[in-house]
Amino acid sequence: MIWRVVALISGALAILAGALLSAHVGPMEAIRTLLHGSLGSPAAIGGTLRETSPLLIAGLAVFIALRAGLFNIGVEGQLLCGAASCTYVALKIPNVAGMLLGILVGMLAGALWALPAGLIKAYRNGHEVITTIMLNNVALYLTSALVSGPLKEKGQQDTTTATVADATRLPWIYNHPPVQVNIALIVGVLAAFALAIWLKKTVAGYQLQAAGANPTAAKFAGISTARTTLLAMTVSGAIGGLAGAMQVLAYEGRFYDGFSPGYGFDALGVALLAGSNPLGVLPSSLLFGILAKGGIALQIDGVPKGITTVVLGFLILIAAVVRYRKVNTVA
Amino acid sequence: MSFAVRMKGITKHFGAVAALNNVDLEVAPGTIHAIVGENGAGKTTLMRVLYGALHPDSGTLEVEGNPVRFTSSREAIEAGVGMVSQHYGIIPAISCLQNLILGAEGGTLLNLKSAAERAQELADHMGFQFDWLKDAETLSPAGAQKLEILKLLWRKARIMILDEPTAMLSPADSAALFESLDRLAAEGATIILVTHRLPEVLDHCSRVTVLRGGVRVDERLVSETNGQQLAELIVGGSVAKHTPREAPIEAPVSLEIKGLTVKGSRGDMALKGIDLKVRHGEMLGIAGVDGSGQRELFHTLVGLIKAAEGSVILNDQDLLAKSPSERIEDGVRIIAEDRHEEAVIEDWSLDENASLGLQRLAPFANGPWVDSAKRHEKAGEIALRFKTKHGGLNLPMASLSGGNQQRFVAARALCLNPKLILAFQPARGLDLKGTQDVYDGIRAACAEGAAAIVVSFDLDELLEQCDRLAAMNGGRLAEPDAAHARDRTAIGRLMVGVG
Repeated sequence: MIWRVVALISGALAILAGALLSAHVGPMEAIRTLLHGSLGSPAAIGGTLRETSPLLIAGLAVFIALRAGLFNIGVEGQLLCGAASCTYVALKIPNVAGMLLGILVGMLAGALWALPAGLIKAYRNGHEVITTIMLNNVALYLTSALVSGPLKEKGQQDTTTATVADATRLPWIYNHPPVQVNIALIVGVLAAFALAIWLKKTVAGYQLQAAGANPTAAKFAGISTARTTLLAMTVSGAIGGLAGAMQVLAYEGRFYDGFSPGYGFDALGVALLAGSNPLGVLPSSLLFGILAKGGIALQIDGVPKGITTVVLGFLILIAAVVRYRKVNTVA
Repeated sequence: MSFAVRMKGITKHFGAVAALNNVDLEVAPGTIHAIVGENGAGKTTLMRVLYGALHPDSGTLEVEGNPVRFTSSREAIEAGVGMVSQHYGIIPAISCLQNLILGAEGGTLLNLKSAAERAQELADHMGFQFDWLKDAETLSPAGAQKLEILKLLWRKARIMILDEPTAMLSPADSAALFESLDRLAAEGATIILVTHRLPEVLDHCSRVTVLRGGVRVDERLVSETNGQQLAELIVGGSVAKHTPREAPIEAPVSLEIKGLTVKGSRGDMALKGIDLKVRHGEMLGIAGVDGSGQRELFHTLVGLIKAAEGSVILNDQDLLAKSPSERIEDGVRIIAEDRHEEAVIEDWSLDENASLGLQRLAPFANGPWVDSAKRHEKAGEIALRFKTKHGGLNLPMASLSGGNQQRFVAARALCLNPKLILAFQPARGLDLKGTQDVYDGIRAACAEGAAAIVVSFDLDELLEQCDRLAAMNGGRLAEPDAAHARDRTAIGRLMVGVG
C-alpha cells in the first residue's frame, strides 16, 4: 500500500520537475509557488476548497456510474443543464424556497439529461461513452443559446443571466473574507458518506455493483441489468446536476456562457483516482483542487496552466498502473 | 530409458500452503499418461510448472533428456511443451484460422493463404472438419477443443497437456477426441491427460500418476490396476458405491411444464414443445449432447429468456409470469453452468459472493439493508458445507481454484429453503468425493420436499445419481419407457433422436 502512494507522489513530482525544467523554471521554486498558492495562507486554502467543491460532487456523479460499469462522460453536460435550470428557478423565486426548488430542479435536469444515454444503453446496448459525449455537445450549445437569448439579462453586454438574490444563495458556514467556506462543500462531503453507506449497506447498492462487476452473473442473481443501468445513469446525472446547482447557488450566483471550465471532465480523473471507495473521492478531489488553485498561482509566475493538467494526466496513468494486480490461487 | 518428461522433487508453495510437495513425474514418449487426484491435489499446479506458467520453489525438469528451466510458457512451447487449459483460450470474435495462428504467425507479414493450406493439412491429418474463415464463436465446445489441439500442433508441440478435455463434451465427441489422441500418441507425441473420469484413464492411458494433497501417492501401469483401486488411492480410503433409489416417487407434482416452446438465437426453435412433470422430492436428470436445448430450457426456467408458448407451473404458481428475482423469492435456486461468468464475481470476497442471487432474502438482507454480520455467518456455513478450501472469507473469489469455487456455488444454491433446484453440470470440475457431496446435498434438499432438475453431459453420472432420467435432442425432451428407465443404451438412443 505504502509503496504505491510513494510511487504515485514521487512519479508525479519527477514528471512535474521535468516539465518545469523544459519550461525554464526552477522545479523547487515552482513547487513552492504551487503549494504556497494552494495551501500557503488561509485565503489560499479557502480558494482550494472552493475549487474542490464542484470537483467533489461531480466526481461522485462519475463514481456511481463507474460502480455500475458505466463511463458517464456526460457529467459536464449534466452539470451545465443543472446549473442553467437552477439559475432560472432561483431568479423566478427569490427566497429560500427558490433555493431548495432550484437544487431539486437542477438535479432533475441533470437526471433527464442523462436519461437518454441510460435508455439507449439499457435497451439498445448503445455505448454510453458515445451518447454522453454527444449529449455534452448538445448541452453546451443549448445552454449557450439560452443564455444568449431567453435567459440573458436585459441591458447586459455579456452573455449572462441576472444575479441570484442573496436570500436565494447557499449560506457560508465560515465567512471571514478572504476565507470563505460554503455549505456546498459540506453537502459534497455528506453526499460522499451517504453514497458510501448506500453502496456498502443496501441491497440496491449491492445489486448496482454486482451489475457493474459481472453483468452476466448479476442476471443469474435476479438483477435486472437494464433497470440498474437506468438507475445508475439517472442518479449519476442527478448528482451532476447537483454539482451545477451548487456551483450557482454557492459561488457563481449566475449562469453564463463558459460557466464550467471542465469540472465534468476533471471529475472523470477524480473518480478514477478515487479507487473503489466513494470516500476516496474526498482526497482525490482535494488533490485536484490543490493543483487547480496552485496552477493559478503558477500562471501568475508565467508558467502555463497546462502544466498542472499534465501532472494530473500522469497521476491518473500511474494510478491505473498500480491498481492493476494479479491474484494468485491458493487451492 | 529416456523420458519425454522427467520432473524431480517439484515443490511449490502458495503462501503457507504447499500445493506440491516433492513430486516426481516420469512420462515415456509416445504414450498417454494420466494424472488423477481430487480438487486441490495439485494436478493443475504440476502441469502449470511443466508448461512454464509457474516457477517451482525447488525441483528439476527435463524435457526429452535436456535439463530445462522455463521462465515463461513461450519458452515451454519452444521446447515442444503445450497445454490446453480448462478454460479455452479461443477468441470468439475472430475466425478459426486467426485463432489457430494467433501468437505463432511465423513472421511480421501475415500470409493467410499459405496458413490456411497448412491448417487444412493439419486438420485433414487429424480427421477434423473446420470452416476456417468462420468466426470461432460458431464452434461447439467439441470444436473449440479440437481447435485447441490443432493450436498445439501448429506450434509443433510434441508434448501436449490436456486439462479435463472432455468436461464439456458429449460421449460421442469424447470418443472421437480419444481416437485422435491415440493416433497422435502412435505417431510419437506424448500426451499428459489431467482428468476426473476414471473410465478414460482405464480405456486410453498407459500409465497413471495419483496425486493427493500435493504429494504423489502412487504411479502405476494402467494394465495393473482397476477403477476401484484408483478411486481408493485418490481419496485415500475406501469408496462406497452409491445405489440409486429404486422405488418410484409418489409425492404430488411440484413442477409442471406444458408445451414449452422457445425461440433460439438464430430464429429457429430451440425448444419444441417440452412437457415435463417433476414431483416433490424428485431429482430428474436431463441427459443429452451439448446444444440440444438444455441451455435454453435452463435459461427459460431461470427467467433469462421468454417462452414463445406453453406454461410452467411451480407449486401452483405461474412461473413464467414472474421476474427472475420473484422466482428466486419463490425458492428457485440456480447452480449455473459457467461459474466464472454466471455464478461468481471473482474480484469480490467470499462473503460478498455468498449472497449473490439471494441478496434480497433474509438473513442476507434486512429489509432494504445488507446484513453483513449474518452474511458473514452464512458465508462460513456455505464454505463449510462442501469443504471449500479457502484462505479467509474476506479474500477474493479469484483466490479459489475452480473446484473450490464450484463447491461454494453449489452450497449457496442449497441455502434458504430451496423449492426448485436448477443445476447445470453441478459437479463440473469436481473430483469423485466432491461430486458425491454435491449430489448428496441436492438429495438432502429433495428429501425436504424440493424438486431438482440436473442437466449434465455425463450420462453415467446422471444414471448413478438421479431418480429419473429424460433425454434432450433437437429441442425435444423424451423419457424412456418404464422398462428401460435406467437403460444406458435406451437413453443413449434418445439422446441422438432414435428412440
